[in-house]
Amino acid sequence: MREKALHLKNLVKRFGGRTVVDIKDITLGTHGIEGLIGPNGAGKTTLISLITHKVSMDQGQILYYKDRKEIDISKKSLDEISRLGLVRTNQIIQDFESLTIRDSLLLSLATSKQEKFYNIFNEKELRKSTEKEIEKYLDYFHFENPDGHALSAGEKKLLDIIRCMLLKPKFLLMDEPTAGLPQNQTEKVIELMREKTNEEGMSILIVEHDLDLIWKVTENVHFMSEGQILIQGTPDEIRNNKTVITKYMGGCDA
Amino acid sequence: MELLLSGYMIYSLSFLLIYIALATILHLQFSITGIVNFGIVGFWGFGMYIFALLQLKLGMPFVLAIVLSCIITGIVSLILGSIILNLDDQAVLVGTLAFATIIEYLTTTEKWATNGVMGLGTIKMPFDFGPVTDLVFFLFILVCLVLLILYTAKLKTSSYGRLLLSIKDNEVLSRSLGKPTFRHKIIFFTFTCMLIGFFGALSAPLYNYIFPRMIGPGITFTIWIALMLGGRTRLLGGMVGVVATVGLFDYFIETVVPIPTEYAEMVPNFKFALYGLMLILILMFRPLGILGDRKREVKR
Repeated sequence: MREKALHLKNLVKRFGGRTVVDIKDITLGTHGIEGLIGPNGAGKTTLISLITHKVSMDQGQILYYKDRKEIDISKKSLDEISRLGLVRTNQIIQDFESLTIRDSLLLSLATSKQEKFYNIFNEKELRKSTEKEIEKYLDYFHFENPDGHALSAGEKKLLDIIRCMLLKPKFLLMDEPTAGLPQNQTEKVIELMREKTNEEGMSILIVEHDLDLIWKVTENVHFMSEGQILIQGTPDEIRNNKTVITKYMGGCDA
Repeated sequence: MELLLSGYMIYSLSFLLIYIALATILHLQFSITGIVNFGIVGFWGFGMYIFALLQLKLGMPFVLAIVLSCIITGIVSLILGSIILNLDDQAVLVGTLAFATIIEYLTTTEKWATNGVMGLGTIKMPFDFGPVTDLVFFLFILVCLVLLILYTAKLKTSSYGRLLLSIKDNEVLSRSLGKPTFRHKIIFFTFTCMLIGFFGALSAPLYNYIFPRMIGPGITFTIWIALMLGGRTRLLGGMVGVVATVGLFDYFIETVVPIPTEYAEMVPNFKFALYGLMLILILMFRPLGILGDRKREVKR
């Protein structure tokens, strides 16, 4: 068990008349890697968007814990939340068209001090100080041409994950991180997630439909359905839970 | 040679440089940051009028008037930017266009300051070198333009340039990486509008005499067409575009090509029609402009 990273209280989000997320009282991030599963339309992605304030909530409160301090992030903006160490990867591929793979990673590493309109002569220094870190990831995932643009969906997906990892978040929300990745890259992402959680104290929440991955990787699983988190428990508990089986895994075949 | 150094030619070339500067600044705003500024002429005219007022009404020296007109343009664009820059592209377009229109109307209606349609004059050159005064001023503008282009080139390979490109490409993703994009947009918009104001202030002594009709929306459209024509993604796209539009029509055809006098007055009217035709042709056959886009090199 770890100290919790997030505490959601009475979180509600409606789209039109439909309540998409309705969470009473949930803590997240008490384990290294947690899973969030549920049928399509359960509100998993919306929940992640609410936490990072990509979408604003209708009511409720989100508390974030960092260095033993409690921070209310309900009113903070997307970029502020990211700077606090709460970062998400995207389910739908997101990329910067004009930036090469290396540029994209440099963007992630550049500090706000280096990003001033009058500060345009620091490129060498920045590249030198970040070379090691960037090379490490580029070698690890074997990008064919790091100075070109990310072409395939898989490359873009990996790039999204690496950009987030470079920010060294405290709590990383990963929305279907391995969808569209080949098997060997999936293994590498999992390996990386394990390394980060064990060695750097990062907590990760993954949303996935690949249940084998969930059972294999996570220490704790939240089951979400119709906007509510119904059941929380270890992978084994969730796997054998009757509600989960009927609502998600298709009846009685488990 | 005589024609080249004659007063009119220097005057024309000076304006060509001003236009190139404006197109380069539009490249910074639109092609790098994604800010759809359709009110370039507003900031330019604003800088020009403020400079003229400071010099004529308050008797300020050249340098002080230039600095102050930049600062005042900056303050105005800061206010405008904080209102419109978190809206979508269409709203920014309308907002900036409205700003330019407001400036044009204010210069007409506020007669106590601007003399209305009568215009303001005479705006003096900052120095007097006898017959080569115009040439020296031309060289001064040239130096400013070169500095601007060097800055733009350097910016594109700096961390700030990458940040601006990321805002243009995908602002939400950029924010989710912790970049305060709204703040950066306001800062950069203010900075670049100050540059437009600066070149506006430089235009005032060139014109000598300024009046509201000079700051109509035609200039904005010309600059946009020039940038599109030259290649909006390229550093020198603005320059090529300006030479192909303003340079070709206003100077080459009007000064070098012998047009019978009875047709001469048709040229300015035809100009915009031909700009439009050129734009349509370019967009059809070379959508990224004359210079086009650098191919995405895929080294294997």
